[in-house]
Amino acid sequence: MKNRLKIERAILDLTQDELANKIGVSRQTISSIEKNRYVPSTVLALRLSRLFDKPVNDFFELDDSEIPVQNKELS
Amino acid sequence: MNVKSFMECERKNLEKMKRYQLPNGFKKIGIGIIVVSLITFFVNKFSIENIDLKLTAKYGILVGLLIVSISKEKIEDELITSLRMQSYTFAFTAGVIITLLTNPLFNYIANFVSQKQQENFQEVGDWEILWILLSVQIFYFEFLKGMNK
Repeated sequence: MKNRLKIERAILDLTQDELANKIGVSRQTISSIEKNRYVPSTVLALRLSRLFDKPVNDFFELDDSEIPVQNKELS
Repeated sequence: MNVKSFMECERKNLEKMKRYQLPNGFKKIGIGIIVVSLITFFVNKFSIENIDLKLTAKYGILVGLLIVSISKEKIEDELITSLRMQSYTFAFTAGVIITLLTNPLFNYIANFVSQKQQENFQEVGDWEILWILLSVQIFYFEFLKGMNK
């Protein structure tokens, strides 16, 4: 899964620590998400969505390999 | 399922995992128990040689390891919960493999540490298996935390 978390964080001018405090997780969690090492839960994704005031799809995107074949054929 | 109930459902799942954990402060208590038990173990091994004291020290090490293993981190969030689950899975698998493959070598080390003078290729006991599982879990968990810094 690709994400634009670093960009969204830069837009709000937040450090990893500040963002972590705002959504109630550790700095390591933010760092891991930004490095694509960890895929957050729905709760965390929705918390980020609320903070950035954007839909989740705007900063999280599935990789081509993660899209089911049937969906690819439809699009 | 609306957003609120979805979030509630995930929050409950995370809380279920935390139900059997001790507060972060217990980690230091666990480390203290391990250190005291190890000192007692080696002092007993080289001077006192009391069987009851040896047993107490061995189980003290296990209790200490268990306390460290189930103590929460300062910030116990979903990443830590995920890493914890990975470490338990790894420890379980590694524990079985180590027990099966390195039985002779492990026997030699365990016999040396516990002062047993027994023949090789003896089956691994409950203390050794639990010691492997808990140690592997704690070290792998710390390794994963280091990787995610």
